[in-house]
Amino acid sequence: MRYPQRIGRLSVSGRKGRLAAAILVAATVAACGGSGGGTQESAPKAPATIPELTKDPLTLKFIWFDWPPAHALEAFANAEYAKERPNVTVKVNTVPNANWHDAMFTQFAAHKTDFDIPILDSQHIGEAVTNGNILDITDFVKKNIDVNAYNPYLLAAYGQYPQAETGKRDENASMYGLPLLGDTWTMIYRKDLIGDKPPQTWDEMISVAEKCQADHPGVSGLAFHQANGSDAAAVTYNTVNGVYGGNLWDAKTRKIDGVLNDAAGQEAMDVLVNKMKPLTAKGSGNWFIDEVNAAVAQGKACIAFNWIAASGGLLDPKQSTLGTTREQILDKLGFAPLPSQKTNLVPLGGMGMHVSAYSPQANQAEALNFMKWFEQADIQKKWAAAGGVPSRTDALASPEFLNAGPFNKVYADSVPRMRDMWNVPEYARLVDIENTNVNAALNGAKKPKDALDDIAKQQQGVLDSGNRKGGGGL
Amino acid sequence: MSDPVPLTTDHPGQVASATPPAPGRSRRLSDRTLAVAFISPALLLLLAMSVFPLLWALYLSFTDYSATRGGPAHFVWFENYTAILASAQVHLRALTTLIYVVGAVVLQTVLGFAIAYLISRRTRGRGVLTTLFLVPMMLSPVVVGLFWRFMLDAQFGVINSMLGSLGLGQVEWLTRQRTALISLIVVDTWQWTPFIMLIALAGLTAVPKYLYEAASIDRASEWFKFRTITLPLVWPLLLIAVLFRAIEAFRLFDLVYILTNGGPGVSTETLSFHVYKVGFLGFNTGTASAYGILMVLVVIVLTQLYLRYLNKLKED
Repeated sequence: MRYPQRIGRLSVSGRKGRLAAAILVAATVAACGGSGGGTQESAPKAPATIPELTKDPLTLKFIWFDWPPAHALEAFANAEYAKERPNVTVKVNTVPNANWHDAMFTQFAAHKTDFDIPILDSQHIGEAVTNGNILDITDFVKKNIDVNAYNPYLLAAYGQYPQAETGKRDENASMYGLPLLGDTWTMIYRKDLIGDKPPQTWDEMISVAEKCQADHPGVSGLAFHQANGSDAAAVTYNTVNGVYGGNLWDAKTRKIDGVLNDAAGQEAMDVLVNKMKPLTAKGSGNWFIDEVNAAVAQGKACIAFNWIAASGGLLDPKQSTLGTTREQILDKLGFAPLPSQKTNLVPLGGMGMHVSAYSPQANQAEALNFMKWFEQADIQKKWAAAGGVPSRTDALASPEFLNAGPFNKVYADSVPRMRDMWNVPEYARLVDIENTNVNAALNGAKKPKDALDDIAKQQQGVLDSGNRKGGGGL
Repeated sequence: MSDPVPLTTDHPGQVASATPPAPGRSRRLSDRTLAVAFISPALLLLLAMSVFPLLWALYLSFTDYSATRGGPAHFVWFENYTAILASAQVHLRALTTLIYVVGAVVLQTVLGFAIAYLISRRTRGRGVLTTLFLVPMMLSPVVVGLFWRFMLDAQFGVINSMLGSLGLGQVEWLTRQRTALISLIVVDTWQWTPFIMLIALAGLTAVPKYLYEAASIDRASEWFKFRTITLPLVWPLLLIAVLFRAIEAFRLFDLVYILTNGGPGVSTETLSFHVYKVGFLGFNTGTASAYGILMVLVVIVLTQLYLRYLNKLKED
């Protein structure tokens, strides 16, 4: 075979090529000029009074990740909100959990969103506020929302920025959101394998799981989040860190190195990797919400930890091998607040509602109206009955909520014990560093001490890189 | 001899054309204008969708611009480039990518050529076999990643189930440092070996039969025929396939995202996956642009070296 022509050479007329290149470069520089003339943005303010609402048909769009509460919200809102606003249709657009942050913030980056109400994780607020992506609703909240009806920490966690690090709400701080769904971890345990009484301390929980695993071949002692995506492994470590008396950082001095990896932090990592991990199923190093639920539903775990809002499916006989009715399943499954050890801290989950700064004015007005409607006492109770987890104190204590699911009392009891992660604009990078390193330690790719020291060092580097010239993100 | 074709019409002074212009064509439209009119939509699309973003990324790579922070883009000149080239994180991802590219491309080349060689020796059913082998290549990498993720699951995956029935223990395919990278190579090989096979098959079927007949007359062994006829003639074409696969493997993202998410830890994070994290987790658009430009430069330089070797091979 012969190949008479050389490959990979392109013949372009010199002058024309140079002219075309010059035009392209000039066009590019001209186009880019716009990005260089702006100023640092801040969140625009929403009006204190809700503007006049449209009478035309309107679709109010949310964005969330794909899980049962998202579908429950859409059904609930279309059934109940339509009674007040029949011209409005509510659409909850969902994306896979791993794409949730990117799906919202890439649209924010384009300054054009196909949603009106982004449902942000509490830790996303800092990034969105700093970039001016969501409305400042402080004046709206003052005029329309009864803030005293809430547990102050929940109101702060889902709407305030800067976040209340002390667990108390700062009444002078600005508000950027309102609670939509409260959440925390529940301990799910097999009553038929370990007894009706749940373990009270973390050490006791580990020894009970160890015994259960030894007594029941094929059933692992523990099941929990270990994946390196989203905030899976990071929340697991942060939970154990909190229980063993550790701290994630010193918020005042913005110090992580030396705080996270102190003696308490090291002990927590040792407990997680050397005591808890050996009690999990082989290959569970990439498990997150669905995998943990599957292990419980298949009867393959003695004790598991999962978000309450994602636990509803465990009681569905169609998805479980533990019984053919909800009652039979509940004979075997128990739900309890997390055991305590040196402290009784539990992770704060859940999300708040916010208003996109790039949404049309009519939609922003409708979004504010929806938020005001949603936060009413009777609506919060209805939301609880529909499967949601409210944040109003009266709704949390209501029979509608407490009787809606066996894990709802766990949530109500856990509210005073909650601790959140860092609510700073650098959150996405901080959580990725923690996720990947904890995941590496859990799967034998790093020694536990090295992993924790690497987390502290790398996270400190991110917090200290504010004045770095070039190479941001590395 | 037939009558000559009249050169004039009944109207004196009007010259008849041997090839009349196409009906409806304006006299102003020259061939060159038409050519420009036809290629300009594609050219504009190419400029808008490829060249312009590339130049914009080049501009951003010299700045500290962030797509979400929205502030002014300050020129940092080569700071992004030096930070990337000096970063231990980047070195680690480069090594992972290198191991992956070499492992996947070598395996695919050996398997692809072997399958093509075996198929080329068949006279019946060659078309059906070729079509069947091409099926994996037609699937979306995301779909391939998802079903391999289920198949490789340590608890309920079919691979471990088969190993179990053979009396072998469970393997943590996706959650251990060594097996995770091997799993990525295996899945990529499953999907893209047919591509190498297809190119190799084209080369093998183009080898003139008379060369084999002459070799047979000289009582050459099969191995001698393969070594001195088949391989030298197919080799240049195979190298082009290897080039395409190497470029594709170098920018691997989707399989990593679906199968391991870069884990355990960051042990299967490739360069492309790392660019994604830099670009979208902290929205460091300037750094991510510089990272992307450097990757393009690496591909261009390596491709040029490769093409020079290929041309030299052909000239020899």
